[in-house]
Amino acid sequence: MSGMPAQPGRRRFLQSGGALTLAFVLPGRAIAAPGEGPLPGSLNKAPWLDAWIRVGADNRVTVYTGKAELGQGIKTALLQLAAHELRLDPGRMMLVTADTRQTPDEGYTAGSNSMQDSGAALRHAAAQVRGLLQERAAVHLKAPAASLLLSNGVFRTPSGQRVSFGELVAGADQHVRATTAPAPPAPVAPGTPKYSGISLPRIDIPAKVAGGLAYVQDLRLPAMVHARVVRPPSQAARLLGVDTAQVLRMPGVLEIVRDGRFLAVIADEEWRAVKAATALARATRWEAPATLPAGRDLASVVRAIPAEPETVLARGAPGASGTTLRASYTRPFQLHASIGPSCAVALLEEGRYTVWTHSQGVFPLRSALAELLGAPEQAIDCIHMEGAGCYGHNGADDAAADAALLARAFPGVPVRVQWMREEENCWEPFGPAMVVDVQATLGANGAIVDWRYEVWSQPHNTRPGKAGNLLAATHLARPFAPPRPKPSPQPQGSGDRNALPYYLIPNARVVHRFQPQGVFRTSAVRSLGAYCNVFAIESFMDELARAAKMDPVAFRLRHLSDPRAIETVRTAAAKFGWDAYKRTPRRGRGFAFARYKNLAAYCALALEVEVALDTGFVRIIRADAAVDCGEVVNPDGVRNQIEGGIIQSASWTLLEKLRFDASGVTSQDWAGYPILRFNQAPEALAVHLLDRPGQPFLGTGEAAQGPAAAAIANAVADACGFRVRDLPLDRARMRTYAVS
Amino acid sequence: MTRYQLQVNGKPHEVDVDADTPLLYVLRNDLKLNGAKFGCGLGQCGSCTVTVDRQPVMSCLLPVSMVGGRAVRTVESGGTRWVPGAVLRQAFTEEQAAQCGYCIAGMIMRATALLDHVREPTDAQIRAWMQPNLCRCGTHMRILRAVRRAADALTAAPARKKR
Amino acid sequence: MRGPARRRRYKWWLAGAVLLVLAVAAWAIMWRPALPEQTPAAPTRFDSAQVTRGANLARLGMCAACHTADLAKPFAGGLALETPFGTVYSTNITPDTSTGIGAWSEEAFTRAMRKGVARDGSLLYPAFPYNHYTKLAQDDIAALYAFFMTRPALDAPARENRMTFPFGFRPLVGFWNLLYLDESPVRQDARQSAEWNRGAYVADALAHCTACHTPRTVLGGPDIRRQFDGGEAEDWYAPALNAKSPSPLPWTHAHLNDYLRTGIAPGHAVAAGPMQDVVMSLAQADPNDVRALATYIHGYLAQAPARATPATKPGSLPAPADNDADLARMRLGHETYVMACARCHDAGRTPTSGAALPLQQAVALYDPDPRSLIHIVREGIMPPDGEPGRWMPGYATMMNDDQLTALAAYLRRYGANAEPWEDLEDSVKKAKAP
Repeated sequence: MSGMPAQPGRRRFLQSGGALTLAFVLPGRAIAAPGEGPLPGSLNKAPWLDAWIRVGADNRVTVYTGKAELGQGIKTALLQLAAHELRLDPGRMMLVTADTRQTPDEGYTAGSNSMQDSGAALRHAAAQVRGLLQERAAVHLKAPAASLLLSNGVFRTPSGQRVSFGELVAGADQHVRATTAPAPPAPVAPGTPKYSGISLPRIDIPAKVAGGLAYVQDLRLPAMVHARVVRPPSQAARLLGVDTAQVLRMPGVLEIVRDGRFLAVIADEEWRAVKAATALARATRWEAPATLPAGRDLASVVRAIPAEPETVLARGAPGASGTTLRASYTRPFQLHASIGPSCAVALLEEGRYTVWTHSQGVFPLRSALAELLGAPEQAIDCIHMEGAGCYGHNGADDAAADAALLARAFPGVPVRVQWMREEENCWEPFGPAMVVDVQATLGANGAIVDWRYEVWSQPHNTRPGKAGNLLAATHLARPFAPPRPKPSPQPQGSGDRNALPYYLIPNARVVHRFQPQGVFRTSAVRSLGAYCNVFAIESFMDELARAAKMDPVAFRLRHLSDPRAIETVRTAAAKFGWDAYKRTPRRGRGFAFARYKNLAAYCALALEVEVALDTGFVRIIRADAAVDCGEVVNPDGVRNQIEGGIIQSASWTLLEKLRFDASGVTSQDWAGYPILRFNQAPEALAVHLLDRPGQPFLGTGEAAQGPAAAAIANAVADACGFRVRDLPLDRARMRTYAVS
Repeated sequence: MTRYQLQVNGKPHEVDVDADTPLLYVLRNDLKLNGAKFGCGLGQCGSCTVTVDRQPVMSCLLPVSMVGGRAVRTVESGGTRWVPGAVLRQAFTEEQAAQCGYCIAGMIMRATALLDHVREPTDAQIRAWMQPNLCRCGTHMRILRAVRRAADALTAAPARKKR
Repeated sequence: MRGPARRRRYKWWLAGAVLLVLAVAAWAIMWRPALPEQTPAAPTRFDSAQVTRGANLARLGMCAACHTADLAKPFAGGLALETPFGTVYSTNITPDTSTGIGAWSEEAFTRAMRKGVARDGSLLYPAFPYNHYTKLAQDDIAALYAFFMTRPALDAPARENRMTFPFGFRPLVGFWNLLYLDESPVRQDARQSAEWNRGAYVADALAHCTACHTPRTVLGGPDIRRQFDGGEAEDWYAPALNAKSPSPLPWTHAHLNDYLRTGIAPGHAVAAGPMQDVVMSLAQADPNDVRALATYIHGYLAQAPARATPATKPGSLPAPADNDADLARMRLGHETYVMACARCHDAGRTPTSGAALPLQQAVALYDPDPRSLIHIVREGIMPPDGEPGRWMPGYATMMNDDQLTALAAYLRRYGANAEPWEDLEDSVKKAKAP
């Protein structure tokens, strides 16, 4: 059940929903006055119940969310929440995601906020709708509301009279404002299955294993044409000239579009577009200046980039005495490297733009496109369709902009733009290169008494909202300038996300050196600054523990007061068998803990690695993670996300760095940017959930990235007896330690 | 444009395409099969994996003019004589072996080729066999478990006697 | 007793004496004593500078190329080497006392390196190139010993070799040694530079280039009269490195140095097959030693006469001439090239992580032997696990024998403009057996 129309096509088909949704008004029900207090999650921004839940006369319910499925299982989890509150089989429900025409505006699906924003809103809205239906059922069945039982969309009296959701909405207006008043408890018939807190199989997987229509890459529209963009060799490159004559004569070529440095070819068949683009690239002359800091130590380069320092934590007073340790940690530029390069389809017809995109934020994208195209927002529809995992701000928005520009140049038919692998690797916004300097003092009793932390980072958020954040916009003859990036304030943070240690430290200073302009365009990669900051903090905690001659887990526990954090740490250690661990040659154990953003999910991780220094090969033998994400809606979904986060982070930590020479990026494909393959996947990986029913949802999608990096680094240090502080711990780096 | 006769998923097809069109685009755009995916076009990621005469092939590199009458199978197929398609799809579904799912069709076809030739693969063999296929989301553990599960199901199923 | 009877008995005595002498000689050739086991010395006993030196020598000597089969278990052996005498598995040379060389004294290690004799007295198969390592200076052997004795000890028992009868009988190697084990040191040449002489030492005593690049006799020994005339390794053809070099473009010293250090000489060559292990190993060695090796080898390569080849004019390969005697096959080959290869190998392809070599420049097309080309097309060229590099995909499952044969024949004629390879179909068929 997805938001995809059964026959995607022209606009006139797009409005087919399936169910007739009628309006209902309850007699005597006062609409709650504004200013009643905040509603849960995104309900605040879209307080009408029918923006979220619509009951059909056919007894099916359509659920709307402004969030998008990125492969994290959010569609299933949100559906579960709504199904649970409505006590309705999810099979009878349809979920519509991220569509500017019909869903609430929930900004970006990012920051692991979907459960907190959309989940909370949907749960509340569904409960209220259920409550309203219950009241209406009571009237209809002439029985007290409290005596009714509900199962699978049908209310029953004790004597067996019944009325269904569909019957109840006949003649009713569903445009009712949500209130903060809690809905009466659900009158659950015995034997009604519960839909939340269970591992409901993901609703999107069946299509994906069977080759069904699942991704924007699968979208085929009548008369659709295919486009490929020819990119400059680098952002600094100048276009000297292009000879289009021969390419225009190639079979199937319909149009060559050129606007400044934005150059693209449109063809009738996809492969012809690829060939034409290759020929067009050959027929184009660029001047590619050698402006990149190739061959220089990247950490020095980062330190030299102009920065705007901001003190994000100033607690206590400096100068406590004791044993002081210092360390610096570094992270290179890294890629999202989505396995499916970005793709979009756009159509300009009768003055309306329709854009099918896997952007994480269809509403902000729409604003940016409006600015780019010089068209009103109301004339643009952005519809989310899944792409491959994006892990943050990848090329999705840029591909949408490409498609929209080309649709404008070639109106009347849908134009499909598919980025090539090299395009994705060279032009997606990268994960910033970061440097951390940390210093801490251990008091006489071995506790941390002073902490000083500085982190240098380029921007982690250059998402559209503004046209200047769309790649093509910066290449036009009259280019849009990228808006000056701004850091996100704490507690979200950007480069300083998770830069504040979650530990009890009486005197602490944290400075974020925000660098608005760096070597490359950078933006959000899953967990933003938390990956590097948790890597640094948790590596340094181990170094401090060693200096204090304490077990790393015990050292952390000593500095934690949050009981949930303590239990998460203890669980991971216990499941791993931390206390009973016996080190064997070439193997070591490592531990790490973080609470994402210091307010989202808790994640502790213990793992064992094996290190072969002569080949530089590091692999994870086994790992045990403990996660507390509040109330768990879909346990298997959480496990899937954490497993994936650990393995993806292992790939970043053991393999990944962007490579470039003086004139451009050289890690243009998987050969140039290797990522983890099956031979380096762990032998065993277990995720242990600490379910907290009734507690607020805490996002888990990014909780494991930082802890995994640090746990690996700590385990390598345990195995080898020396510490590596520079990411990645790749084969070339590890080999340098083969003969000490 | 040239006309080609292809055997895909047990059925004959006729397509009219440029001779050098990689099989991947023919499968997706001409035969409307979504399974095989474009991941790199360079044979480095395996998202496009299909089987041709029961061998795994990166369909992004195989020009349609070189396929001839060989049997092409994709994830949409009923499978082979020895490896019913449903067994792998079911195993992947039961293990919930997907996050974004983009790599999965390629994984299933890569695994199909293994199970088509090796009756009882060891875990090490499965792991080594799947090496050419990338998963960016980190679903490796579940993918290996799904292939294991399918292998075990095939070994146990009585239907796998020669007909 | 007199007369014939006495002569007969005399003949018997003579025969017996001769046999006895032969038996003693054979025993002397084939038998070696075991050397005593010793407790392994603690790694800290070894001087770290010596260990570092040994590491460099091990990389120059390519030890890991054969003795590391599993990235997670360096030097634990287990790699299968196909030889004309059977399959030999490399052994565990980590200092494990039961399955590796942990119980070997430096004397035992030296004997293995110089004479090909294991600690227990058994003779090692010359798949282990001790006939090269024998030329090492003693302090280099000591440094190598220090290096190996300080590696992590791994438990990895040797795999059973699968030798063709009678070569499973190790003492026969004694006769091979008689013929081919020349223990004299590398000859220095006073007329050459110090760098050249260092390169000669690196080439002969460590990198053992001639082991692959020189033809072997029927007994599997190096045919020293034809040094660098070309040879083979693991079913790949190793090209000649002297006047007979098939390279279509002359090698410059800079090219060769780049190639040996990175595996790529841009516009000239890409390391494939067994050379990938070589360059991976050399990339980690002292660059000065690699440059010396390049100087030495280049001295031989420079003997190759200049000749006109299509390599100087890379571009699209042409369609076959209408009067080609083998037109049908050439057309199939050309079509295969256009369909499968040209997208990357044609001049001016949009570069990705490195443009593909225009095929007129590919040495494999000019080899007298098609095996390397067949391997490259079937298996591709891929970087080491987890490391960045060039990537050519493999086409084994995409091309059938006819297509591959036709492609090879076409490339030979229209890419290299060279005489057809003999027995091309056989070579393609043989390449299928793994």
